[in-house]
Amino acid sequence: MSKRQVAMVFDLNKCLGCQTCTIACKRLWTREEGMDYMWWATVNTMPGRGTPRDWETSGGGFKDGAAQPGRMPSRKDFGEAWKFNHEEVFFGGKGQSTHLHVEGDQPDWGPNWDEDQGGGEYPNSYYFYLPRICNHCTHPACLEACPRKAIVKREEDGIVLIDEDRCRGYRFCMEACPYKKIYFNHVKKVSQKCIFCFPRVEQGVAPACARMCPGRVRFVGYKDDQNGPIWKLVEKWKVAIPLHPEFGTEPNVFYVPPIAPPRYDENGNIDESKPRIPDEYLVSLFGPKVLDVLAILKAEMAKTRAGEKSEVLDVLIAYQWKSMFGGFDRDPATIEWTKG
Amino acid sequence: MRVNFVRGAPVEWLLDPEAEPWSRAQAEKVELYGTPIGMQPTEIIRTAWANRKIGAVGEVRVSALHNGEVIAFRLDWPDATENRDLDDTSAFPDGAAIMLPVVAGAPLATMGAEGKPVSIWYWRADADTQGRNVLSEGIGTSRTLDTKLVSSHGVWRNGRWNVVIARPFKIQSSDPQVALEPGQTTEFGVAVWEGSNSERGGVKAFSGAWRPLEIAPSTGGGKA
Ligand code: SF4
Ligand code: SF4
Repeated sequence: MSKRQVAMVFDLNKCLGCQTCTIACKRLWTREEGMDYMWWATVNTMPGRGTPRDWETSGGGFKDGAAQPGRMPSRKDFGEAWKFNHEEVFFGGKGQSTHLHVEGDQPDWGPNWDEDQGGGEYPNSYYFYLPRICNHCTHPACLEACPRKAIVKREEDGIVLIDEDRCRGYRFCMEACPYKKIYFNHVKKVSQKCIFCFPRVEQGVAPACARMCPGRVRFVGYKDDQNGPIWKLVEKWKVAIPLHPEFGTEPNVFYVPPIAPPRYDENGNIDESKPRIPDEYLVSLFGPKVLDVLAILKAEMAKTRAGEKSEVLDVLIAYQWKSMFGGFDRDPATIEWTKG
Repeated sequence: MRVNFVRGAPVEWLLDPEAEPWSRAQAEKVELYGTPIGMQPTEIIRTAWANRKIGAVGEVRVSALHNGEVIAFRLDWPDATENRDLDDTSAFPDGAAIMLPVVAGAPLATMGAEGKPVSIWYWRADADTQGRNVLSEGIGTSRTLDTKLVSSHGVWRNGRWNVVIARPFKIQSSDPQVALEPGQTTEFGVAVWEGSNSERGGVKAFSGAWRPLEIAPSTGGGKA
């Protein structure tokens, strides 16, 4: 275990599915050769098969402490970086006789392929967005899989990084990571993944996905900082829990589970007896603790409706944008960045 | 195995596994074994490979020549699949390596040990001519010293790999390197990775034990 651990909390009740985080990361980190199909930060509609396709059932991680075999996701499962006929559409002079389409093989999957499909039956259909990054796990399966010790977990902040000079592209990490958050760079022949924007974090700047998020979804900070949002949400109020805790890697990204609007009964009346998002589904994602979290949130919401104050809801609402970053609130524009 | 001397053979010939001088080498059959599961360095690899065959290639023919300046090994083995690319995440390239002890008594099975390094000359089909000069002092410690000293080239034809891996005798380096010269005797080991079987890293076929290597002196040897 590292001395300290930076972490994030994603409040799923606020995520708009706008993909600003996804693009912020893409523009900052994955624009180089061999990275075109990479999305270190993803946002998928749930229920859904996700990115890469069916990652939730791809094995890996640990069960009762024992390593589990994992499947290698294919490039198609992640989704290729499609090439479009932009030239033809915009400059080909073909007017309405052509339209935008993917060139070459027609894809049958991609990042966010099943966007907004969700689950349930009208009028009680439901969905929510699930942003994901590498969880910078406390018990990282990727690190433990690597025979070359090419993956390190930093002492000072627990960020999990791949040393590209030591990596020989064996991809045992890709099989081992149960969250399937490692990509293979086919040009550099090394594995690559989310770096928690460590060059920014080192300068006191929150990761780009968090700063750019218009929904104020993504909280950042040290897990043990009692003045920061992570400690308050995870430890004090216990309203943020990891995704698939049963994978055994002890993620350091935590989620505030979604509360959907109420259901309608057969007569079209509001029916509060059952939740719209089935409890079983949320339990399948976040484990049984999710029900405790929902109970806490509902109780806090009831409190505020009765005119009382709720510290946890105040934290979640994030009245002060900077309060979300646990001290990592320096403006990146004040720093002179150099490429090392 | 004897490393025959071929007077005046140009390096390009030695680096061409199908060139004429190789017909003058004495090929030796080396039986290969899958690396034992217990020796895989991480639990995750041991679990993933518990019920899978490690070491798809069971035998390799090895021969070696030198021209007084460069020593070259040639490895050839049957392989139905030519795995050169890593286009998909599940695609792995074929590979082969020669291992030599840097100091006498360096263990082969663990790829050296602390203070007892081994030198590994490594060829991988996806970077055919960019041989790697690797130093190892035990499993998981191997590091590439450079990609210039060792030359390599593989030709796949009619279901067979024919791969040459070569290095000059005389080198200048501040790293521990295996010192070799004509007339010397030492030992060598071999490893082969079968890409179609997802073999990479410690998941490979290897020669099990050191085999004697006798480098002919740079005398006689006939004309190339
Ligand atoms: S999410 Fe996957 S890649 Fe990230 S630290 Fe955990 S095991 Fe490693
Ligand atoms: S930027 Fe924020 S609101 Fe938009 S998809 Fe990402 S996490 Fe959700």
